[in-house]
Amino acid sequence: MRKLMLIGLGGALAASLFAQDLRAQQAIGEETAQGDVAVTIYNNNLALVQDIRQMNLPAGTTRQEFPDVSASIRPETVSLTGSDFGIAEQNFDYDLLSPGKLMEKAVGQTVTLLRTNTATGAETRERAKVLSANGGVVIQVGDRIEVLRDDGLPVRVIFDKVPPNLRAKPTLSVTVDSTRAGVRPLTLSYLTTGLGWRADYVSLFDEKAGTINMQGWITLTNSTGTTFSNAETLLVAGEVGQIQQGYGRGNYNRGGPQPQGNNMGTETGSREQLGDFYLYPIKGRTTIANAQTKQVSFLDVIGAKASKAYEYRNEWMGAPGSAQSAATVLKFSNAREGGIGDAMPAGTVRVYMKDARGQAQFIGENAIGHTPGGSNLALKTGEAFDVKVQPFVEKREIIKSDEWERSVRYRITRSNGKTETVTIDTQKEFWRTTMKYVVTNAKSSAVTVDLIQSGLNRYWYWADDRVVSETITGEQLNANERIWKVPVPANGETTVTVVFDTRY
Amino acid sequence: MRLWFAFIVSLIAAPAAAQTIVTSEVPTSVSVSLYRNPDRGEDDAIELEYLQGFALISETREVDLPPGKVIIRFEGVASGIQPETAIVTGTDLAEKNRDRMLLSQRGLLDAFTGQRVTIKRTNAKTGNVTEESGTIRSGSDRLILQTKDGFEALYCNYQNETLLFPGVPKGLTAKPTLSVTTRDQPGGKQTITLTYLAGKFDWQANYVGELAPDAKSMNLTAWLTMASGDDTSFESANAYAIAGKIERQERDNSEDENSEYSADNLEVYFSCWPYGTTTSNLAQEIPVPVNVQTLSAPAVMMRMEAASEEDMNIVVTAQKRMAEQEDLGDLKLYRIPFPVTVAARAQKQVAFLKKQAVPGEMIYRSKVSGDDYEDVEMLFRVQNKKEFGLGEALPAGKIAFFQSAAGRRMLVGESNVADKAVGEEVEFPFANASNVNINIEERESNKKSESYTMSVSNANPFPVTFEAEFNLDGYSRHDNFTSKMTRKKGKNIWSVVIPANSEIKLGYRKAEIEAADKD
Repeated sequence: MRKLMLIGLGGALAASLFAQDLRAQQAIGEETAQGDVAVTIYNNNLALVQDIRQMNLPAGTTRQEFPDVSASIRPETVSLTGSDFGIAEQNFDYDLLSPGKLMEKAVGQTVTLLRTNTATGAETRERAKVLSANGGVVIQVGDRIEVLRDDGLPVRVIFDKVPPNLRAKPTLSVTVDSTRAGVRPLTLSYLTTGLGWRADYVSLFDEKAGTINMQGWITLTNSTGTTFSNAETLLVAGEVGQIQQGYGRGNYNRGGPQPQGNNMGTETGSREQLGDFYLYPIKGRTTIANAQTKQVSFLDVIGAKASKAYEYRNEWMGAPGSAQSAATVLKFSNAREGGIGDAMPAGTVRVYMKDARGQAQFIGENAIGHTPGGSNLALKTGEAFDVKVQPFVEKREIIKSDEWERSVRYRITRSNGKTETVTIDTQKEFWRTTMKYVVTNAKSSAVTVDLIQSGLNRYWYWADDRVVSETITGEQLNANERIWKVPVPANGETTVTVVFDTRY
Repeated sequence: MRLWFAFIVSLIAAPAAAQTIVTSEVPTSVSVSLYRNPDRGEDDAIELEYLQGFALISETREVDLPPGKVIIRFEGVASGIQPETAIVTGTDLAEKNRDRMLLSQRGLLDAFTGQRVTIKRTNAKTGNVTEESGTIRSGSDRLILQTKDGFEALYCNYQNETLLFPGVPKGLTAKPTLSVTTRDQPGGKQTITLTYLAGKFDWQANYVGELAPDAKSMNLTAWLTMASGDDTSFESANAYAIAGKIERQERDNSEDENSEYSADNLEVYFSCWPYGTTTSNLAQEIPVPVNVQTLSAPAVMMRMEAASEEDMNIVVTAQKRMAEQEDLGDLKLYRIPFPVTVAARAQKQVAFLKKQAVPGEMIYRSKVSGDDYEDVEMLFRVQNKKEFGLGEALPAGKIAFFQSAAGRRMLVGESNVADKAVGEEVEFPFANASNVNINIEERESNKKSESYTMSVSNANPFPVTFEAEFNLDGYSRHDNFTSKMTRKKGKNIWSVVIPANSEIKLGYRKAEIEAADKD
């Protein structure tokens, strides 16, 4: 009969059947139990959802379900407010409906078995009682006990009902005591993971003009499992403290030493603030679909000043087998004067440059942290093909300096009772290391390379390091690092020789 | 029956009342710039099955927009698109959206959770087909259907079952799609440029060196080897390859990987109830592989046309046409001066360099420290300078050396090259020598030093140039050499010609560095 209805050509019947299916169809992704939704999204995979629903509560104690909450909800953070009711209990049911669970809950109950005869194809139905479901389902059919599917023959199990607390998706329910019946707004608010945002910056670098054009986009990602329809959306730049909910969340770890020229500014950004955090509201209402990446523009600056630099950092006595490319570093500021002119939320800066025929090509990207206004930024975009450094150790020797250092001091008591103090001074020894750095430039224009020797203060007992001579005057950046600004002519090379005295 | 399908499809396809959607199916022109995986060293080969470089893709698309706010859907973008990198120029945008709800088994099941579907059962014996309407009552990973008889787990009963869906849900797409929402605009024909980065591409240089019979020069040919692992083909594209190491940030996909609701997670496993027999005790829920099909035929036809993995084709273009090189900031750009098709899952080669009779030296070399030495390697050394017949940027890749011997062309060896700039000395160590051998004997030693004699023998019927490179560890030095040494990059080098079928010796000392008394 069923088959007839589906495959038969009964016009009216068919039309009504499919009209029903069509309604279901339209509902996909559109119909939601959510009310007036406001979402506040933080950088670190966290969002606060406020959902105001018009609900009809009867008087007395009832259990209210809230479908279409985030599937990644943190249920312990749920709060429900409204007038004329109190909350008896809040439940978050995450026991999901599955074949195994269905069978477990059917223990002691009766189900229908539909067996197919493999020889004839004939079907037979019988009722069976489920006795247990522990690593194999034991059933009772009439007065016989058997194990389901022990014979490996086709058998369908049809359950009469589904236990009420087994659900397709995790569901929030709240038991409320209402003092009156009637429709009223209920404000549901909770924290959820799975919603996050970051900034993506597109910058076009014009090397000749020394400028960048920069566009900033807010990139919002939703992997909560739930679509938030028509939501008022506010983004908060800054990482609110939260107890670790998972691993590897929202860290902008820029690992390793940063190029020279990064320092944080002191200008206040143009955005509204919440304490220490900047707020970025999205204009109008927007639907944040599940599994969607959404981008909204928030910054568009033309002609900010920018320059390019080269940097090479050598380890202590580093002597790689072949010449190594220097890093290409893009420098700009987000100051109001000549810069981007606003605070920049954490994200990725992608740099593009036009080729000889005006086609924009990608030349590299780097991450920035939350950057207050007035900061100077120096981002490594890649390594220069044509600018290389070959460092090597030219000579190592031990020298004795003219300095003496006290190594021991004794107090001696003579047999006549007199005491005297004896000190022993030794000549200070130094390891004298002659480093050479050959900086080559295959470009048709002159460049300056920031050459940095690090590892000068690797251990506390190294404290007495000295630079004996250097062919270009360097500058001590800190106890550990010294920098030389090395000019290299077009298609040429410059050799820097530095002699270090170290204690070990 | 057929009429019916038409009826359903047309109803489903009826546009939603909300915002106007304009679909751009294909670009009118496209350019593809390939970038080498910055984490792949020159020693690592391209893995066609696992390409980790990327491409910058720039597409020009023509659209005819109605006035007002419009959603433009760009179909047929690269499947590996990194949506956060998309740049759209030509119209004023309110927002960009990347919906990753792909038309797949998982996508269908997710979309139809709580909806009505049809269960089709085929009787294995009689071949009778029965269909029944039901509602999906569970998540897609643990299918429970409600039918008129009650509740049933699908795929748990040794029967031939499949689900039929009444149509393709709105929002599920067969092709990777990027959509943008414009602001209020006047409408009309617009040219829009869509630029984005996409993963699953890579490239490298492949060099072929034909050594002259005397091994004092070579003819060098170089190819750009470009590979795409993407599902989308780019026809008649302007193609580029960019050489040099680019800084990239790791994309944060940790949430996606962990999330059961992730769109990237297309796998579906179905579980059943405890499945045990009187002869086994399998407590776990076992996955059952299944097939689902959809009633909507066009969905099947919309499958992307991609070369299957078996016929991953390798195209070599004619050698006369070569890529041109220019500087792009501190990178090198190779422009292919004719349109090419960057086909899905395919590799392509275009020549970029051809040099005749580049002079070089064949060197036998070993690195020595005390009585430690490395096996003697054969290397071909060239000066990458105009006056030495070369003087071109050499992007990282592989080189294969050939030489004619006994009247036929033979492979001599292979080597890797890192990015080499003009002016650099380039060494290609391509094989280990078997006829040049080292023996080091200790002559005498004391607490602070050891003296050695190194013998190098040449069993070849021709003289060879041999180099011993003495390496330092920072706390000792080599001295008392019995032959003249040269200095190179802070190292002592013994460079000598060993006559045919003979042996030569070098004496030296390795000593700890000691204080030279001052005064």
